[in-house]
Amino acid sequence: MDFKHDILPLKNIIFRTALRIALNREEAEDIVQDTLMKLWERRNELEKVENLEAFALTMARNLAIDRKEKMDNQHVSFDDEEHDRPDEGTGNADNTLMRTETRSFIADTINTLPEKQRTILQLRDIEGKTYREIAEVLSISESDVKVTLFRARNELKEKILQKKSLFL
Amino acid sequence: MDYKYIEQLLESYFACTTTLQEEQILRSFFSQEDVPGHLAQYTDLFNYEASAKEDTLGENFDERMMALIGGQQTTDNGKGKRRQRATAPRIIKLATRHFAPFFKAAAVVAMALTIGRAAEHAIGEQEAEENSNVIAIDPYIKSSDVRQAIRVKDVSQAETKAINDSIISLNTEGEIQ
Repeated sequence: MDFKHDILPLKNIIFRTALRIALNREEAEDIVQDTLMKLWERRNELEKVENLEAFALTMARNLAIDRKEKMDNQHVSFDDEEHDRPDEGTGNADNTLMRTETRSFIADTINTLPEKQRTILQLRDIEGKTYREIAEVLSISESDVKVTLFRARNELKEKILQKKSLFL
Repeated sequence: MDYKYIEQLLESYFACTTTLQEEQILRSFFSQEDVPGHLAQYTDLFNYEASAKEDTLGENFDERMMALIGGQQTTDNGKGKRRQRATAPRIIKLATRHFAPFFKAAAVVAMALTIGRAAEHAIGEQEAEENSNVIAIDPYIKSSDVRQAIRVKDVSQAETKAINDSIISLNTEGEIQ
């Protein structure tokens, strides 16, 4: 087991997944560091691990959820992430800004989904993972992955159609 | 223009019955500049999906990470099993270096043979075609809207192959790895 060759290359997928859960870049970077450190500390066990990436992502997700829970307990105002997201571009959008605004509209909408939904959407639609791999990361069944992804994609679709009707 | 294929893929996407390859086709389709009006509402979604993967850690992350790992050994060569695995690539490298000229020669011969046979074959086929007056049709491309999907900018060969594969499996359910 070599740190640079076997563990470090997982950093970016861990980062994006942690970011999707923590919704904060610094926090996500800390989670990557913690995950990589833990992996390295447990390097002797990793021989037996079949899918190192899935193993690492499970670890990172658990860390991210734990940290978020702790943060939420410390700051009551963060309790409901649904309420402190930016406005959904209902204001007077400048035409030149439209494109970037709608792009972040997608990101904002994904980030308001429940954690399980947005993590699954991240792993499937951005990282291109199979249902099987995602099931392994979240320790749930493949059909549970599909049902959750279905909800996430359709919530997104609904928000997209709503937004479209607002602009027409 | 007919976008039935893409519309069908979109429907499957929201029903979570698309394969990974089909989802890649959607992202490629929406990356083109002239997406027709009735589909344009989904452009941002698929473009976001495609671009979000480019979000990476800063350049100095590795340095900081290595410093954190710091005192600890970063290569674990203590066990025989591992040492064996580590040396295997070196042996291959050595072999490649020594035999490289032979490989090259073999490749040239193989290429010459292939080209020769292909040319023979092509001439034969051309004659057959002229006789029967049949137009050659790529067996994988079935309808005009499929061509439409392939017309996307920057579609790499791998993607084109994925498109072909997914067309073959259009009616097959389930996940393709």
